Amino acid sequence: MSRVAYYPGCSLHGTAKELDSSFVSTAARLGVDLVEIPGWECCGNSAAHAANRLLAAALPANEMAKVKDDMGLERVAVPCAACFVRFMATNHEVQDSETARDVAQVVGRPYTGGVGVLNLVDFYHDEVGLAALEAKVTRPFAGLKVAAYYGCLLTRPPKITLAEDPEYPTRMDEVLEVLGCKPVAWTFKTDCCGASLALCEQAVVIELVRKIIANARACGAQAIACACPLCQVNLDTRQGDIKRVDPSWADMPIVYLSQFVGRAIGVSDHDLGLKKHMVPVEALLA
Amino acid sequence: MTTIDATLARRVNRGSGENAYKCYQCKKCSTGCPVAGFGDLHPAQIMRAVQIGAVEAAVDSRFIWLCTGCETCTTRCPQSIDIAAIMDELRMIAREEGRVRSDVPFANILKLNYDSFRRWGRLYEVELLAIDKVTRPSGFTDDVAMGIRMFLKGKINPLPTIGDRSQMKRMVQVADRINRDKRAIVRAMDLPADADMASSGRGGAS
Repeated sequence: MSRVAYYPGCSLHGTAKELDSSFVSTAARLGVDLVEIPGWECCGNSAAHAANRLLAAALPANEMAKVKDDMGLERVAVPCAACFVRFMATNHEVQDSETARDVAQVVGRPYTGGVGVLNLVDFYHDEVGLAALEAKVTRPFAGLKVAAYYGCLLTRPPKITLAEDPEYPTRMDEVLEVLGCKPVAWTFKTDCCGASLALCEQAVVIELVRKIIANARACGAQAIACACPLCQVNLDTRQGDIKRVDPSWADMPIVYLSQFVGRAIGVSDHDLGLKKHMVPVEALLA
Repeated sequence: MTTIDATLARRVNRGSGENAYKCYQCKKCSTGCPVAGFGDLHPAQIMRAVQIGAVEAAVDSRFIWLCTGCETCTTRCPQSIDIAAIMDELRMIAREEGRVRSDVPFANILKLNYDSFRRWGRLYEVELLAIDKVTRPSGFTDDVAMGIRMFLKGKINPLPTIGDRSQMKRMVQVADRINRDKRAIVRAMDLPADADMASSGRGGAS
């Protein structure tokens, strides 16, 4: 059994509780011991780097210093894509000695990198591994057509995320395939859904969401798989607004990758948090 | 009258480490930008404005507050310019100079978001939303029904969740002090002249 630190982040304790519960229960079944970072704080999200770059680098450094020095662990699972990119950015930025010196002053101790950061896709693809995951599948999907949606921050910018194929990634598709799903080829895999504007520029956001879901549907998808709590909430909640303008709009279920995994390996509906969605997903994952 | 501030590109360079003069206007950033069609300008125009020091066009644009930070421009720039970091820097300059325009709601959201995690250690969404509604009356009725539905599904916490608040407070104090000192030095270094950025070291064209 491997041991990995766990950084839930603010969303997983709020709007994305089903990502937290489905992730934690799949990890347990897949033999990974998750240890939550004690007293974890916000990673600074997209607000910090637009206001104080040093604080933006220091907040994840504080968490990773705990992982390395206090918990004695080498890797941290960060299922929120927006947190993930901030952790990766810190690992990149502390390679600069001046930044590392300032970060050490802010955090109160040095952190110069070395903690591996796993996003939701990395966790299943690499930490668990596709073969080990396949061996645990007891309830495979019968060829359900799924559009794997990566959004922005799982892969961009690649010098930070180290994504091999940032324009057309396939690693989430590979995980879905192991579960018996049939990933579709589609156009909007890595397009932005506008989630950061969700609270204030509704017209922009609704149009971005509409384009993404319409393309997934046109390419044959019956559901969209997400690995980011901001994308999921945005794509799930904005369909009601689209429907008010376009009554012919058909609902598209927006499901976390961890919920697909959990359903396939026998996690309970309660732990998968199926009732937390706006567009119903129970029938799809029954 | 249009103000041309010859130091703008250098200030952007000192803050972000990025050299706007490397941009040769291929406009790949704009064709990939998800919000290029919703603002007044698009990213390549912002880059041009920074180059020529058109401070009103760049710093006062609506576009810099529409940028979602999706990093598509940064990823695709053939000159490897971190364009999204330049948008961040323009936001910082707008705040420092007190020239954030009043019709950009995202500026308010970003500020409240920043204040929220600094105050509580983690984001406290209910408070953030409440203050936004009070301070930005034009958005008062937006998404109220959706908020209630999400609350009923247990997705919005009425009370903040708390981590290690004392460590957050300490980090914020130190980071603010170092950041303030560094940016003050950078501002003091800005001469009103037309110094050649190619000879200014970091980020210089090669």
